[in-house]
Amino acid sequence: MNLEMKRREFLKVMGWTGAGLAVAACDRPSFITSREGRNHVVSYLEPEEFAIPGVGVTYASTCQQCPSACGVNARVREGRVLKLEGNLNSPLNKGKLCAVGQASLQNHYNPDRITKPRVRRDGRLVEIGWDDALALLREKIGPDAGLNGKRFAWMTDTISGHQAVLVDALMESLGSNNHYVYEPINSAVWRAVCRDMLGDENPRLGIEKARVVLSFGADFLSTWGGAVSGSARYAEFRNAPRGVLIAAESKMTQTGANADLWVPVRPGSEGVLALGIANVLASSHGRDLSALPASVRAQIDAHDAAKVAGITGTSEEHIKRIAELLHERSPSLVLAGASAEGHEHGYDSVAAAMTLNLILGNVGRTIESSAGFPFPQLRARSGNGRSVIDFAQALEEKRFDVVFFKGVNPAFTAPAALRLNELLAGGPFKVALTQFEDETTLLADLVLPLYSSLEDWGTHVPSIQPERNFISIQQPVMEPLYPETRGFGDLVLSLLHMRGDKDYAGYEDYYAYLQHAFVALPADVKNSVTKGVGGDAAFWSAVMQQGVLEFNTATPAALVAKPVAFEVQAAAAEGNGYFLLPSANPNLWDGRHANLPWIQELPDTISKAVWDSWAEIHPKTAAKLGDVKTGDVLRIASEHGTLEVRAFVYRGMHPDAIAIPVGQGHTAYGRYAKGRGVNPYAILATAQDRKTGEPAHHMTRVNASVIRRADVTWNNGSGMDRLVVQGGSSTQVGRKLVVTVSADQFERTEGGRA
Amino acid sequence: MSVTGLLFSGHSSCTRADTVVDRGIRRLPVLVTLFVLCAFAFFLPQPAQAQSPIPNAVPPTDTYSGPRVEQPIEFPHDVHVEQNGINCMYCHTYARRSKVAGIPPTSKCMGCHLVIATDKPRIQKLTEYWEKREPPPWNKVHDLPDFVHFNHEKHIDRFVLGNDFPVERVKEVCAFCHGEVKNMTVAEKSRPLTMGFCQRCHQANEGPFDCWKCHK
Repeated sequence: MNLEMKRREFLKVMGWTGAGLAVAACDRPSFITSREGRNHVVSYLEPEEFAIPGVGVTYASTCQQCPSACGVNARVREGRVLKLEGNLNSPLNKGKLCAVGQASLQNHYNPDRITKPRVRRDGRLVEIGWDDALALLREKIGPDAGLNGKRFAWMTDTISGHQAVLVDALMESLGSNNHYVYEPINSAVWRAVCRDMLGDENPRLGIEKARVVLSFGADFLSTWGGAVSGSARYAEFRNAPRGVLIAAESKMTQTGANADLWVPVRPGSEGVLALGIANVLASSHGRDLSALPASVRAQIDAHDAAKVAGITGTSEEHIKRIAELLHERSPSLVLAGASAEGHEHGYDSVAAAMTLNLILGNVGRTIESSAGFPFPQLRARSGNGRSVIDFAQALEEKRFDVVFFKGVNPAFTAPAALRLNELLAGGPFKVALTQFEDETTLLADLVLPLYSSLEDWGTHVPSIQPERNFISIQQPVMEPLYPETRGFGDLVLSLLHMRGDKDYAGYEDYYAYLQHAFVALPADVKNSVTKGVGGDAAFWSAVMQQGVLEFNTATPAALVAKPVAFEVQAAAAEGNGYFLLPSANPNLWDGRHANLPWIQELPDTISKAVWDSWAEIHPKTAAKLGDVKTGDVLRIASEHGTLEVRAFVYRGMHPDAIAIPVGQGHTAYGRYAKGRGVNPYAILATAQDRKTGEPAHHMTRVNASVIRRADVTWNNGSGMDRLVVQGGSSTQVGRKLVVTVSADQFERTEGGRA
Repeated sequence: MSVTGLLFSGHSSCTRADTVVDRGIRRLPVLVTLFVLCAFAFFLPQPAQAQSPIPNAVPPTDTYSGPRVEQPIEFPHDVHVEQNGINCMYCHTYARRSKVAGIPPTSKCMGCHLVIATDKPRIQKLTEYWEKREPPPWNKVHDLPDFVHFNHEKHIDRFVLGNDFPVERVKEVCAFCHGEVKNMTVAEKSRPLTMGFCQRCHQANEGPFDCWKCHK
């Protein structure tokens, strides 16, 4: 007897006989998800005392979705991890966790995970066993392989803690120093400026201590310097007395959307705007510039507000107002991010922004040293974008025989103009240590499947240490889902064993090594955790339970500002097409989260679009291109390629720029990511910042034309025939959802200035 | 215990089988003795059960005849409950602590059956599983759709522990939803467990009636 009740049947019952009978239908058993007689119920063989089926247990670990290294608590029930939350013990994220961190679960349970090693045979990747895979590796990098270490390279994402120590050891054992640390979304230019002007590459930014924050495209609420800790500091900054946030950028970021004053800046002229503000600070507010080099002073003198307004497209009034706010509300904080960094003169623009901090006396007040982490060998090797350009150059020169990839997908994130795919295809023996079949993995000759972050051991040291120095611990929260995957640390350790490295011969696995490393810590560190009660076992258990190990370190010496000379320019004048801004999307990041359905479903914070790519353009640009409406299809062409993408008309853009978020446009990477949207990385120019060599990703010029209207059905291959935007309207349509008051009225009735 | 052992013992879900096996086997003689003693206590003649009704309770009356679900081992509930008087919660020990009653761990079966009825084919089959270090793959008999959250702990509390009802007679409460399991060999579904069944009982016993109590 089929007792199943379909929705249509249910509605029929409702329609014909009314609610009375519908309630009677409650007696018809539902088999929608019930598995009677079909599912096994498996008991424990021998239960642990604390394990009660149906009741969760929590383990502390570390999130691996972005380089921030936030602490997480994982709730586990019946041996399955169900939910992640922030770990309260972590001084970095203090119990908070972002949406991308929550989606780690889908990384772990993803149906597209690689479950067995694969090797390339006759051009195809076929599954093999670990013994064969390791034998092949022995042939390539074993002690008898005769590999010249200089011809070995490893490209990883940001790496820290004991994994970094092991990678260093392997590189040393091979005699190689070709470790490329690659992060497409980074703040490498900012770090270089901090290193040169403050003597500390990763200063701690006291957003919460500032009374006004000026951001030149530094999206600290989403992709710049750790969103969770940035948001926590921002929340404090907005508490009474409420700090003022000003954003000057060419494309509205999430931080910009939260600003009190959002100023559109012509792309590439952020440095000029900083000079203009410095000029007003000196001329109208008497700020002292004498500590600056003469060349810098001359540039500031030469950029009065009127001139700067002409170059940047920012009104003179706004420039004066920003200077006034910075002068009146001390201490302040000036930050510079991707849109300032991403030009040939990116370093100079960021240096100009940092000079404002010097003029305003912020160094030592809102910008402090985060030095003092006691174990330099564990510190983060922070990624940059230059490494992929250097890597491509080395491939071009045929300098490598064997390359390893871990946590990076350069075949997707490198501009097509670098010809990386071509260089890799014909080049060295490529080994991909990965969970998924992404674009880089598809090029590999050997694929080694890794544990998910929820199955693996590790330690992580955030590059910017918060007020208390600490290591974050990553521990498995459940048994590996696939028996033929391996932990990253275990794998590197087994390679060290294969090389016959004596220092690591005694460690059976990565867990044994980690445990030994912790037990070997100085007694005062251990006592600070155990309070002298219990031995090493108690210390190790306590560290595992807390998920972090803090160090009582002395306050580092105050930063000393050292002004440097720089030469600010604005990007070339109009006439060469629009600037293409490959905007960093807080959800998809550099594309590594495009295979997580929750993240695809999560609306972009600005456009509210889902499951697709779009091009943000200003209404003026839209009018110029021929009355373009949201949803019309644009063809966007640089000299390196063409993209077809739907328009999103939005006022939070500079009219000279078109922004396309990065992260979509995968040609591989599993069922959720593949063939969805477009990849703006592909058509970027290969220009570099002149001082740091970082990719100048924000200066590619493109032409745009409308090729289809929104109402014409067009499918970009991903099954989406229109742009799905979950926000209904950009205005309140008179509904007073958020009550607002005009600045004039506020001034009149509240007696203050907005 | 080694430090490694300590850590792994803190990881029920991640326990590496080998560590647990070693420890289990080392302790086995002690465990066996304890279990045998406990089991004998359960086999002692029980005082004649009072037939007084369950206070503050209106037992549901609906019946249902579910299909017979084949099991890897034909577990005889009647032998355990009716003939030997073992309390339901001796094996389904999680019922009073969790939303699920739990299938007893294999170690609990073996606690008695290392010495009791070892000549019976069903016990020999159980022993085979135990020696393979695998729990028998029992098939589900009572299941609810994923959008229904039934909580055993709350019901045991309402009708037994918080109701001044002797825990020795808990099987009469279990029978509300599971029928006369004491007379069955392999458990069979003998109540409909539909929403209507739940609602009528909640109405009669003044249970909560909010949608989200069960649908969450």
